[in-house]
Amino acid sequence: ARAAAALLVLLGSCGAALADSPQDQAEQFFRSGHTNNWAVLVCTSRFWFNYRHVANTLSVYRSVKRLGIPDSHIVLMLADDMACNPRNPKPATVFSHKNMELNVYGDDVEVDYRSYEVTVENFLRVLTGRIPPSTPRSKRLLSDDRSNILIYMTGHGGNGFLKFQDSEEITNVELADAFEQMWQKRRYNELLFIIDTCQGASMYERFYSPNIMALASSQVGEDSLSHQPDLGIGVHLMDRYTFYVLEFLEEIHPASQTNMNDLFQVCPKSLCVSTPGHRTDLFQRDPQRVLITDFFGSVRKVEITTETLSLDRDVAGLESKFPEEELATEPLKYAEQLPVAQIIHQKPKQKDWHPPGGFILGLWALIIMVFFKTYGIKHMKHVF
Amino acid sequence: MAAPLVLVVLAAVTVRAALYRSSLAVFIAERVEVASPLNAWKRVVEGLALLDLGVSPYSGAIFHETPLIIYLFHFLIEYAELVFVITDVLTAVALYLAIQDFNKVVFKKQKLLIELDKYAPDVAELIQTPMEMHYIPLKVALFYLLNPYTVMSCVAKSTCAINNSVIAFFILATIKGSAFLSAVFLALATYQSLYPLTLFAPALLYLLQRQFIPIKLKSKSFWLYTMQYASLYLCSLVVIICLSFFLLNSWDFIPSVYGFILSVPDLTPNIGLFWYFFAEMFEHFSLFFVCVFQINVFFYTIPLAIKLKEHPVFFMFVQLAIISVFKSYPTLGDVALYMAFLPVWSHLYRFLRNIFILSCVLIFCSFLFPVLWHLWIYAGSANSNFYYAITLTFNIGQILLISDYFYAFLRREYYLTHGLHLTRQDGTEAMLVLK
Repeated sequence: ARAAAALLVLLGSCGAALADSPQDQAEQFFRSGHTNNWAVLVCTSRFWFNYRHVANTLSVYRSVKRLGIPDSHIVLMLADDMACNPRNPKPATVFSHKNMELNVYGDDVEVDYRSYEVTVENFLRVLTGRIPPSTPRSKRLLSDDRSNILIYMTGHGGNGFLKFQDSEEITNVELADAFEQMWQKRRYNELLFIIDTCQGASMYERFYSPNIMALASSQVGEDSLSHQPDLGIGVHLMDRYTFYVLEFLEEIHPASQTNMNDLFQVCPKSLCVSTPGHRTDLFQRDPQRVLITDFFGSVRKVEITTETLSLDRDVAGLESKFPEEELATEPLKYAEQLPVAQIIHQKPKQKDWHPPGGFILGLWALIIMVFFKTYGIKHMKHVF
Repeated sequence: MAAPLVLVVLAAVTVRAALYRSSLAVFIAERVEVASPLNAWKRVVEGLALLDLGVSPYSGAIFHETPLIIYLFHFLIEYAELVFVITDVLTAVALYLAIQDFNKVVFKKQKLLIELDKYAPDVAELIQTPMEMHYIPLKVALFYLLNPYTVMSCVAKSTCAINNSVIAFFILATIKGSAFLSAVFLALATYQSLYPLTLFAPALLYLLQRQFIPIKLKSKSFWLYTMQYASLYLCSLVVIICLSFFLLNSWDFIPSVYGFILSVPDLTPNIGLFWYFFAEMFEHFSLFFVCVFQINVFFYTIPLAIKLKEHPVFFMFVQLAIISVFKSYPTLGDVALYMAFLPVWSHLYRFLRNIFILSCVLIFCSFLFPVLWHLWIYAGSANSNFYYAITLTFNIGQILLISDYFYAFLRREYYLTHGLHLTRQDGTEAMLVLK
C-alpha cells in the first residue's frame, strides 16, 4: 500500500507543468488548513449620502458570492437601505461604476442584519458567537476551527474607532478582544480583515491573536477618499480603495493562483491618494503562498484519481509522511471547542482566605476587656 | 412588658421569614432605595469572593464595607438571613430598653421641676403621666420592627441594619449612663459609617446632665469630663482602626470606605440628594460642592447643641434624622431608625401642624419611588428628573417632619414654663412662632 501511495504522488507530480518535487506537491495540496469559508461584510453608515459604503459592501458581497461562498456562509450587515431609498432615482439598484455600468445589488442579495440591527453589540455577538438561542441560522457565524473568515468593514472611522450608525463606536481594542475571543473559542483557522474607512490602519493596530491578516485603505492620519460621483444618482458611488479592489477581484476566478502579495499592491498612492496598509506579522504563512481564493472564495481542494485506494490503517500511517503545514491549532473535538467543558468539570473552590490569627486574638481580647470593664471583675468568678 | 415584646418580635420574625421565602426577596434586594453602593449585599458577597480568590476586596470600586464586616460575614455568610433578622431584633430590644430607661429619666426630671415650681400653674394637661408613658417602649420596638422600611431593608440584606444596631446600642449605653460603653459604641458607629460622629455632642450633653455637671464654658469639671469622654472615644476609634489594619495588613480600607463616603464618586441613584447634582456637575466644581454638601450634615450640630442642651435625647433624634436626610448614600433603613423614635414624642401630637401633609407626602413618595424608577429605567418614558423629583419631595417631607417636631417640642417647653394661655402685652391672645 505504501508503494501505491508513492505512485499516486508520482502521478501527481507527472501531471504538473513544472518539475515539482513530491515535497512541493504535497505542500501545494496541504497549503491551507481550512475546510470552509465564511464572510462577514459590514456597512456601518446610514443615510443617503453614505451610498458608497453600501456599494462597497455589496461589491465585496458580489465578488465573494461569485467565487463560491454561499449565502448561508455570508453574514451581510447593511445599516441602511439604498436600493429602496426614496431618494434613489433607480430603485432596486446600487451601482458601483458611474453611468450605471455595474449593478452590485442584483437579484439575489440576502441581507442578514439590516438597518437598525447593525449595532456594535450585534456585530460583536456575531463574531464571538454569543447569540441568544432564538437567533435564526442566517444571522449566525457558525464557523469552526477550520474556517477561513473574511471580515470586511466600511463606514466612517477615526483613529482607533469605527462609527456605527452615527450613534456609537467600536474601538480597535474591542475588535482585537473579539478576535481573541474567537481564537480562544476556536472559531477561525485564519482571518482576513479588510477595512475601508478614514485612518483605517488604526483599527488593526491592536490585534494580538494569531493567524490574522489585515488590510486597510489608509494609514493613521489619512482620509480614505471616495471615487467618483454619478451625476444621475447624485452621490459618490464607491470609495477608491474598494473600487480598485473590486476591479482586482473581477479578474479572479475560482481557479486563480493569485496570492495576497498582489492584493497588497492594489490601489497605490497614485490612484488612491491615501496609502493602503497591511499587517501580516500575526499570520503564520507567507502571504506569497496565500491564495486570494483562500478567503474570497470557497474553493475545495480536490484531487481526482482513477486509482482505487484502500483506506486501511497503513494509509493512515502514510499520510503522516507528507509534510503538513503545521498550524498552531491542535485537533479539537467539538465539545471542547467551548470552554463550558472546563467549567462543568471544575470542583467548587475551597475558601482560601482566613482572617489572620493576630486579628482574631486582638478583637476578642478587646471585646472581653470591654465586657469586664463594664460589668466588673467580680463576674469572672461566675464565669470560671 | 416582656410578653408583648416577645409577641412583637415573633410577628416581625415571621414577616421577615415569609418574605425571605417569597419571590419578592429578589425584587426588593435590587431596589436602589434599600441597597446603596455602601451597604448592598451583592457587594459584600463580591468582596468576600474576591478575598477567596486572593485579591484584596478594596482593589476595585465595588466593596466599601469595613474590615470588621468582612470578619463578621466570613464566618456567617451562609446564615446571612438569620444574621439580619437577629440584628433587627437586637436593635429593637436595645431601643426598647433605652426608651424604658429614658422614660424613667424624663419622669424623674418632670417630678423635680414640678416640686421646684418651675412649671406654670395651668399646664396640667401637658405633663406626661406614667400611664401614657407605659406603652411607649413597646411602641418604639413595634415601630422599628414592623416598619415597612425596616422589613424591606432586612429582606434586601442591606448592612444598614448592622449600622442601625450599633447606633441603637450606642443610644442604650448613653441612656444607661455608661460613658465607656457609649464611647466604644459611638466609635464603632463612626467606624462603620462616618456620620454618627455628629452624635458625639448629644451623647456628651446627656452624660453631663446625668452627672449633674452644669454646661458652662468656664466650668472646669465640664471640660474635664468632655476631655475624658472625647479621649475614650478617640482612643477606641484609633484602636478599632488599627485592629482593622491587621485583618488585611493594608490601609486600603481607609480610602475605600471613608474616602468613598466623603468624595461620593459613585452616582447610582438613591433616595439622597447627592447623585443628581454630581451627575451633571462640571469637574472643576465638584470638589467645592462635595465640601458644601458634606458640611451640611455636620453643620447643624452646634446650633442644635446650643438650643437643645437641656434635651439631649431629642437632639439625638433630630441629629439622626438630619444624618439620614443629608448623608451621601442614604437608604430607607436609615429613615426607619429615626422613625422608630416617633412614639417617644407622641405627647407632642397636639402641637404638630403639618402632620397630615407630611405623612401623605412620605407615603405617596414611598409608593412613587418604584413606579418612577420603572418608568425611567425600564419603560424609558421618564428620565432621571422624575426620580429626582420624588427624591426631593421625600426629603422635603422628612425635613418637614423634623422641623415640625422641633417646633412642637420647643412650643411645649415654652408653654410648660410660661403657661398655656399666652397673652401679649395688651391682653390679646398670642401665638408662638418659630423664627
